[in-house]
Amino acid sequence: MTTAQFTLSGWTWNPAVLVTGACALVAYVAAFRDHRRIGWFAAALAVFLLTLLSPLNTLADGYLFSAHMAQHILLLLIVPAFLLFSLPRTLSLAARPRVLAHPLLGWLAGVGAMWFWHAPALCNAAVASRPVHALQTVSLLVLGSLFWRQILAPREQERLSPPRAIFYLFSACVACSVLGIIITFSPVTVCSIYTMQSNDRFGMLQTIRMGWGFSPERDQQIGGLLMWVPMCLIYLTAILAQMARWFAQPASPTAKI
Amino acid sequence: MNEITTVLGRAGLLTAEQREHWKMAWLSTVDHKRIGILYMVTALFFFVIGGIEAMCIRLQLAVPNNTLLHPDTYNMVFTMHGTTMIFLVAMPVLFGLANYVVPLQIGARDMAFPRLNAFGFWLVPLGGILLHFSFLAGGAPAVGWFAYAPLNETPYSSQLGVDYWALALLVLGIGSVSTSINLLVTVLTQRSPHMTLRRLPLFSWMIFINSFLVILALPVLNAGLVMLLIDRRLDTHFFLQPGGSAILWQHIFWAFGHPEVYIVAIPAFGILSEVIPVFSRKPIFGYEFVAGSTVAIAFLSLLVWAHHMFTVGLGHAVDLFFVASSMLIAIPTGVKVLAWSATMVGGRIRLGTPMLFCVAALAQFLVAGLTGVSHAVAALDWQTKNSYYLVAHFHFVFVGLIVFAILGALHYWFPKMSGRMLSERLGKWTFWLMLIGFNLTFIIQHFLGLAGMPRRIYTYPDLPGWGWMNMVSTIGAFFMAAAALLFVWNLAASLLHGKLAGDNPWNAWTLEWAATSPPPHENFHELPPIRSRRPLWDDSNPDRPDPVVGTKWQAETTAPEKNKTAVITFIISESGFFGVLILAYLFYNATPQPGPDTHNLNLLKTGLFSLCLFASSFTIWRSEASLQRGRPRAMAGWLAATILLGGVFILGQGLEYWGLFQSGVRVSSNLFATTFFTLTGFHGLHVCVGLIALLIVLGLALAGDFKQGPSPALKAVGLYWHFVDAVWVLVFSSIYLLPHLR
Repeated sequence: MTTAQFTLSGWTWNPAVLVTGACALVAYVAAFRDHRRIGWFAAALAVFLLTLLSPLNTLADGYLFSAHMAQHILLLLIVPAFLLFSLPRTLSLAARPRVLAHPLLGWLAGVGAMWFWHAPALCNAAVASRPVHALQTVSLLVLGSLFWRQILAPREQERLSPPRAIFYLFSACVACSVLGIIITFSPVTVCSIYTMQSNDRFGMLQTIRMGWGFSPERDQQIGGLLMWVPMCLIYLTAILAQMARWFAQPASPTAKI
Repeated sequence: MNEITTVLGRAGLLTAEQREHWKMAWLSTVDHKRIGILYMVTALFFFVIGGIEAMCIRLQLAVPNNTLLHPDTYNMVFTMHGTTMIFLVAMPVLFGLANYVVPLQIGARDMAFPRLNAFGFWLVPLGGILLHFSFLAGGAPAVGWFAYAPLNETPYSSQLGVDYWALALLVLGIGSVSTSINLLVTVLTQRSPHMTLRRLPLFSWMIFINSFLVILALPVLNAGLVMLLIDRRLDTHFFLQPGGSAILWQHIFWAFGHPEVYIVAIPAFGILSEVIPVFSRKPIFGYEFVAGSTVAIAFLSLLVWAHHMFTVGLGHAVDLFFVASSMLIAIPTGVKVLAWSATMVGGRIRLGTPMLFCVAALAQFLVAGLTGVSHAVAALDWQTKNSYYLVAHFHFVFVGLIVFAILGALHYWFPKMSGRMLSERLGKWTFWLMLIGFNLTFIIQHFLGLAGMPRRIYTYPDLPGWGWMNMVSTIGAFFMAAAALLFVWNLAASLLHGKLAGDNPWNAWTLEWAATSPPPHENFHELPPIRSRRPLWDDSNPDRPDPVVGTKWQAETTAPEKNKTAVITFIISESGFFGVLILAYLFYNATPQPGPDTHNLNLLKTGLFSLCLFASSFTIWRSEASLQRGRPRAMAGWLAATILLGGVFILGQGLEYWGLFQSGVRVSSNLFATTFFTLTGFHGLHVCVGLIALLIVLGLALAGDFKQGPSPALKAVGLYWHFVDAVWVLVFSSIYLLPHLR
């Protein structure tokens, strides 16, 4: 199969994903009167659907570790962030039990999601088994939301103050980069299921290996690099946004000094 | 001696009662201003040495087929030149400036830890002596400033030069980390109450960000140096075949080396951000963007080290990612260049000597940045790597930006330090000589590099164009040497006969100019009100003050406790050190190797001893809680239990080591043994240090020191102890548990 053919036929019409998306949209419209931020919700939904239905998903499903990594990042960092943006600004996320609101928990959720799912056994299981894969997808969305909640909660009071937020984001970035570095330079295979040639449902293996030049080693390298470099840039964007938030407070002559 | 005391006294650098013992007054000082000056004088001394080495290089290369220097001597000279200029000149002078200026700018009395400050400084002469002692011990290192493996290993550099080099850098690295921790804690905890972080002058802001970079990057180098020393002294193979990886040294070195470029560049950015507004009579254009882009630069600099390794063969995929991320750095630096330029637009520019140096630094940095971006293109980098094009590029950064900015800063702050103005006439001569000399020397080296001349060759054949271009470069170097001599002369002459400066000769706006010149020991008798980023402007222009920079977050008005902050920053830097050691362990043990391996370890026994260590985290927590509740006796009891449990753990480690020795496992047996002993050994060392600290606290407790209530000392030691335990969780999992999961 050529790349062009694959782009057209590599879509998966996963009913569970479509139903979830539709339900989420209905729930959003029903739950909130204020629809001014529905654009963010649409963006979250679009990224969610594209991640799980497009050829990227097909590639991640047994062909390419790097495609899996891209999915992982989109589900953990992009979709939850857009979701939090879409919430009306008056909504309080002050959670009970209060432990859910603790920054350490958020940090561990974001970093843990990365490390946990890249233990070789779990990484393979998520590709080999449907239920584990579904569990992975859901957990990434939930853990990502817990992570971003500290930064992007709709109410200003429920977010970390900018200096703390920057420290939170920077340390999370370092913790994930270390894993990215390990995966990039590891002499052993992290997710061995991607190196097996048996499961070539689309007849794409030839194109991927020869045409695209993705040898298994390079595939793992790119996966690691995706986690190391572009993911850090997402954190960097968030850090710069925090700087902007910090400096944005308007100067008032009556401000207490 | 009388003349010296008279001069120092006249310049306000000695008080009347110190004249008798002026040497001790300076050698034993813990005053941040004196330590700052000591840093700068030391850097000036090594600048002369490094400069002489540079002149040797240029003389040797002046004509083709020159025989002035022996090839081996030439290798030593360029290695020492690079190492000296970076570690003994650029970093100390910037730490010196930061030491002098930051506490004044934030309205503090001194640094947070004056004695730690003195310790950090005295490590610089020690490191310098260690490095130069190699000349007497069989020859200086001749491996280049980054000492690539395996050339840095015993079979290829059998003399002691590299050992002294590594030891010196280790000492200097520890000094840099301690000074940076001090600066960080000073900015966080010693600010005058109204000097919020958002009102910080840009120089202090950049030193603040820069200190983070130092405590993150230097420990990486320290870990690499430790591994190198173990290789050389204990016959192991971290970076040497069979088994070792020379590439790992490059990763470690550049993971430090790339941030290092910014560690010396960011303070220079800070200098430009102070001098250019003052001499343009305008506030800085886009304070927020200059401050924010510094964060972006610091962040990115930690991310992109692999662009120094395009020619190593890491693979196209790796290259591609680092091409892209390296180019991104051009954006925040471009923001800065635009902000400084926009500050000058429409200003009433006074071209005093400090401003001349800073404007030249700005222009030259632009060239350095452009050639820098060209190196980010892997394909171009393959052609120009290790040619004089690269030499020209980094000298445009280190001299064109950093040395020019430092000279600007010294002309700018000298009146504050000495109470006397530098001669403006000599200063302008220095500037023009320096400008002509620098550009003569280094512009032409771009073309030499493009013509194919490689760096680090002791001589070259008489190829068309090479001879005269090198001659031009050498002539330029002499202009720079003349400028340096003139500058030293200016310093000496102005200290003796300079015009009196007054408190604020430049009509500047930051707090250091509110103190007298030189400032009294306690810095300020009274601070002007601080509502904005230019308190002295507000003070002298009450009818049109700057807009107030508000305080929104509580964290801005309450300073954290300094001991706790210091331990947290120390822990951050130690995490970097252990991170490298753990990564090295994982890397070398990813595939099994012949010889001893984890089967030689006793999981059960060590697991039990580990439980003792983990339990000690609980006991120290109880100890703190007891003190909180005002029960010092219970606190001492829990503390003793902690020490006991820690001691048992160390004993267990001893047993593990003993068992390994019994079965013939040595540190040099294979890479498993090497990495195992290195990692657990350094952890054990930290446990021992923690135990000593705990014993001191226990001694204080028994002496009745903590009867007044909660103590920051116990809290700080407790944090450190938790950290040691947390590291052991990682080490234990990596070494003992991981093999069982496979």
